[in-house]
Amino acid sequence: MNYKRILILLCGLSFTFTSLLADEPAAPATEEAKPAEAKPAEPQPTPEAKPEEKPAEKPAEPAPVAPSEVKIFPPNVSLTTARDRQSVIVQAIYPDGITRDVTSEAKWTLANTELANFENFTLSPKADGETELTAEFAGLAVKAPVKIEKATEDRAISFKLDVMPVFMKGGCNTGSCHGAARGKDGFRLSLFGFDPNGDHFRLTHEISTRRINLAQPDRSLLVEKSIGTVPHTGGKRFTTESELNQTLIRWLEAGANNDPGEVPAVTSVELYPPAAVMDGEGSTQKLTVRANYADGTNRDVTHLAYFISANETSAEVSQEGEVTAGTRGEAFIMARFETHTVGSHFIVLPKGLQYEAPELAVNNYIDEHVNNKLKKLRIFPSELCTDEEFLRRVYLDIVGKLPTVAEYNNFIASDDPNKRAAVIDELLERKEFVEIWVMKWAELLQIRTIPNNVTYKSMLRYYDWLQSRIASNTPIDQMTRELLSANGGTFANAATNYYQAEQDTLKTAENVAQVFMGMRIQCAQCHNHPFDRWTMNDYYQFSAFFSQIGRKGGEDPRELIIYNAGGGEVKHPVTGQVMAPKFLGGATPDVAGKDRREVLANWLASPENPYFAKNLVNIVWAHFLGRGIIHEVDDVRVSNPPVNPELLDDMAQRFTEYNYDFKKLVRDICNSRTYQLATATNDSNKLDGTNFSHAALRRLRAEVMLDCISTVTETKNKFQGLPNGARAVQIADGNTSTYFLTTFGRAKRETVCACEVSVEPNLSQALHLINGETSNQKIQEGKLVEKRLAEGVSPQDVVTELYIRTLTRKPTDKEIAFLNEQIAAGGAPQQVLEDIFWALLNSREFLFNH
Amino acid sequence: MFKLPSRREFLHVGFCGGVGLSLGQFFKMRQAQAEIKQYENFEGTAKSVIFIYLPGGMAHQESFDPKPYAPVEYRGPMNSIDTNVPGIRLNEKLAQTAQVADKITFCRSMTHGEAAHERGTHNMFTGYRPSPALKFPSMGSVITHEFEPRNNIPQYVCIPNQPNEFAGTGYLSSSFAPFSLGADPAAQGFTVRDLTLPNGVDDGRFSRRRNILDAVNDHFTTKEKADSIDAVDTFYQRAYNLVSSQQAREAFNIEAEEAAVRDQYGRNQAGARMLLARRLVEAGARFVTLTYGSWDMHDNIHGGINNQLPAFDQAYASLIRDLDQRGLLQSTMVVVASEFGRTPKINGTAGRDHWPKVFSVAMAGGGIKGGMTYGSSNATASEPEDNPLNVEDWASTIYHCLGVVSDKELMAPGDRPIEIVDGGKVRQDLLA
Repeated sequence: MNYKRILILLCGLSFTFTSLLADEPAAPATEEAKPAEAKPAEPQPTPEAKPEEKPAEKPAEPAPVAPSEVKIFPPNVSLTTARDRQSVIVQAIYPDGITRDVTSEAKWTLANTELANFENFTLSPKADGETELTAEFAGLAVKAPVKIEKATEDRAISFKLDVMPVFMKGGCNTGSCHGAARGKDGFRLSLFGFDPNGDHFRLTHEISTRRINLAQPDRSLLVEKSIGTVPHTGGKRFTTESELNQTLIRWLEAGANNDPGEVPAVTSVELYPPAAVMDGEGSTQKLTVRANYADGTNRDVTHLAYFISANETSAEVSQEGEVTAGTRGEAFIMARFETHTVGSHFIVLPKGLQYEAPELAVNNYIDEHVNNKLKKLRIFPSELCTDEEFLRRVYLDIVGKLPTVAEYNNFIASDDPNKRAAVIDELLERKEFVEIWVMKWAELLQIRTIPNNVTYKSMLRYYDWLQSRIASNTPIDQMTRELLSANGGTFANAATNYYQAEQDTLKTAENVAQVFMGMRIQCAQCHNHPFDRWTMNDYYQFSAFFSQIGRKGGEDPRELIIYNAGGGEVKHPVTGQVMAPKFLGGATPDVAGKDRREVLANWLASPENPYFAKNLVNIVWAHFLGRGIIHEVDDVRVSNPPVNPELLDDMAQRFTEYNYDFKKLVRDICNSRTYQLATATNDSNKLDGTNFSHAALRRLRAEVMLDCISTVTETKNKFQGLPNGARAVQIADGNTSTYFLTTFGRAKRETVCACEVSVEPNLSQALHLINGETSNQKIQEGKLVEKRLAEGVSPQDVVTELYIRTLTRKPTDKEIAFLNEQIAAGGAPQQVLEDIFWALLNSREFLFNH
Repeated sequence: MFKLPSRREFLHVGFCGGVGLSLGQFFKMRQAQAEIKQYENFEGTAKSVIFIYLPGGMAHQESFDPKPYAPVEYRGPMNSIDTNVPGIRLNEKLAQTAQVADKITFCRSMTHGEAAHERGTHNMFTGYRPSPALKFPSMGSVITHEFEPRNNIPQYVCIPNQPNEFAGTGYLSSSFAPFSLGADPAAQGFTVRDLTLPNGVDDGRFSRRRNILDAVNDHFTTKEKADSIDAVDTFYQRAYNLVSSQQAREAFNIEAEEAAVRDQYGRNQAGARMLLARRLVEAGARFVTLTYGSWDMHDNIHGGINNQLPAFDQAYASLIRDLDQRGLLQSTMVVVASEFGRTPKINGTAGRDHWPKVFSVAMAGGGIKGGMTYGSSNATASEPEDNPLNVEDWASTIYHCLGVVSDKELMAPGDRPIEIVDGGKVRQDLLA
């Protein structure tokens, strides 16, 4: 039932890694279900294997070449107190990037065996001192210093340090079990252990003498339920002999006390190895997890960490911490301990895959990062797209329009080798580029009217403010500071509208985190975030920045005045403590006598905040490539890592250096070869949907599609509050819509979620384009065909023009032949041509950016 | 019928994000089908389902599970009445429903643990607890996936619109999305848009248009392969079928209904939506989801029920009677559900708050027994007493009546087989 349990536990996790599926169905990889044709050669010792006894694990195939490097993890060992220990692993790295777990094949030497024991690849203390552990494999030796302190001292059992992790590892405090808000079968634990004191109370005092039995610790209900000696809905969680159970019993024997005072907090968790490239199905890699505490000590928590694979098809991880490779693909392997989740990147390649890294053309730094990743995955990127494809793509992406016939002809005719860069530069200076990004920002800032709250005038002032900032290419950090620290009337200083539409303190904090940092911290309102680092403390401390927003009516009843009230606090709902404002993942600033929002804004929109630039870069990238480097763009978390961290980091770094100049960033992206790749795939990348090895097909978003239809048919639209002929991307109010826009998935801006914009097809869309006014009436209304025929243009030339207008290409010979037949057979040429026009507007090629 | 592969064989399938099924994954799925739990669909007792969803969480106490003998703070401000089934009492505003109670089973022991609207709603539309790791498909989308369309009518229709994100396709391809009317059948001059060819386009001209479109698409679709294109193709095919079938289009025309029938159902949202639902299942739709009202009555529950329940009562009773008279009740299951019930005690603002621990759903027709209650809540309507009915079993029973074994696995992205319902059992006691 392993996968069920993980499924339940994983509430909160959505995954980025799509498996790169191999051609055969996934073969079983669990112990019980070995493939029928398991290699007969299995028991043969591999050449590298030492003649000593063979460990009971699957041998890897002999690697044809010697490793180029051998690494030992953790790189240093420190043992404190008698029960401490540390497991170690050795990883061999081959010249082609493949890694192998050679822990059991390496020759191990402990310099001073008086100081420590080394058994089962685990060190445990004997006496204080310092020594060195050496592992030798294939002629390469690697050493780890070992330090032993308080070797004979036994650390007292601690409820928070030792017992609480048992509930996590045992799965006791998950949302489907005792971690549920009302508990399970009458017993509740805090979800993922956010409230250890409460858990201690419920165990020891809630129903006195029921759950624990200090006279006979091993007869405690807590123990008997866990080891399954009495009926337990959750079944047997661990065995009597297990360390988890021994920990419970030791704690009970010691009196089942809570810890007096504070215990050292976990400051970080390390997961080793940090990366692995596995050679074929069935290869394995052991993991080791180490927690570092605030008092400077560390512990091996491999046995207490909860392991999760983001892609079990490619890499399965056991709760003992062993990864087994599956089908080709990549997987993020995570270990969760206390509130920390750490990950390690695993790639699985088909066994013995022959691959020679190609010389890949590169336009700029973006391509280097993308290609580096593709090389690791043994993927070849697609070819460069054609000029026609490029022109259509870059117009739709940068300005949300299609090129005119003249623009098309000029571009195709030009023999300037830099014509692609030139057209990018030209488009970036157009006002339509500004409009696209005003629209996208208006979604993030939820610009819309709200009955009895945000009036049309307020909304419009807000929109104008945003428009002026984007149009003047105001650096985004400056715009952000202006917005978040805004004070004044919603008419006089329109940026204050941000605090009119949303007046709830916690919700405001959540929105700010989601929009400006890409993080969904909502979970942490009620419990520690299960798959990110955020705790309830983080959540309420971040919310405290928004607790002193004053609001009062203005002279105009439609206006609201936002000011710094200078008072108001946020309290932790469990402890009731007043929370001091603290940056999310940052410092606790001095806010005394200051406007808290200003303090926050100055940090948020600065390089001090590691997420600000990355988040913006990711949003922009997703607009142009169809998918974020972190996907979804507003779901940044430890357990949802970027597919290409080097690319994201580098772009973010440059964006910061560009002084947050948005155009420079867009220019880099559009000029990259990665952006200009064809959609057509090759054998190696046809199943890749995440690493940008080919261009993605993207349905046009509602506004852009309507604008394109209107432009190519030469018709106008009337939207509320805008002059006749305005474009749909210019609509200020999220609540202004039309049937077309709603049906094709325009965002209502009711939430900050990037998911509001929908490009999913449906039956209504098909019916509307087939029968509805947006295609039929517009063709009639624009009279384009009629005008051209009246001007004496031949039907064939009209067809060519319609093709260029809608698809940015000329008809193929095959199409010309077929359409000429239709024209010849049909009656009035106008009607046939209008039918061709209708077909072009309904074509898949028109609906998609490709 | 069912080849049981080693369950272990696919325990290790991966978690993968995204929605829909890529083409590659589709082929993969084809290959993998031998490995996943497969069952043949069979001839079910229900040909169609009308799923009446009352958003907000309708109080079970003020509808199908009154507690006339509970202390007043539990009983609430309203009275209850007898029905045509001895021993079954309903809220006083369900007078007409009381006269068709012999056709209905009132499940009074529905239970789940989700007290937030969206999470409770997720349960009732998908049969699964929410998990952001995977988007689950709605029952309607699963049915669309499992069966071919009948008479060119969209299999899964939402009146007036898809009511929430969980009524969608989840991890299935967007080809299985519901068809939303886009307009309320209660509105004056209601029509479903774009069902008929535009002026000046006759069948001949339309077929020329289609030929030209095929020719234009040919160039693109031979070089581009993507799930998103396939989904558009599917919808175009469905649209052609619908547009070219007079009979199918007529199903959406509520004006074709006799005035007396319209009056009987009630010329309001409840009446018009349920009447249109009947027309659609009659024409061949398999799963019609409709919503009515807003039931999140934290304040003044007496007033809220008085405002909304009578219209529901009239329409619902008319629907049951009408289906019965037309001989359709045997093959049409009518389900009334809400995301949860409401707190046992009346709160400080004379309302009730969210309560998922026990609440009621009503089921009738399509192979469900009539004239009984199934399960019960305790004396204060705060806990299930007999036969607690969980979401999984409830959904499995609906699927069973439709002819689908809910233990069947569908392929989610990442080559990951997922049961239609995880571990649900058919409640035989509900079946006629």
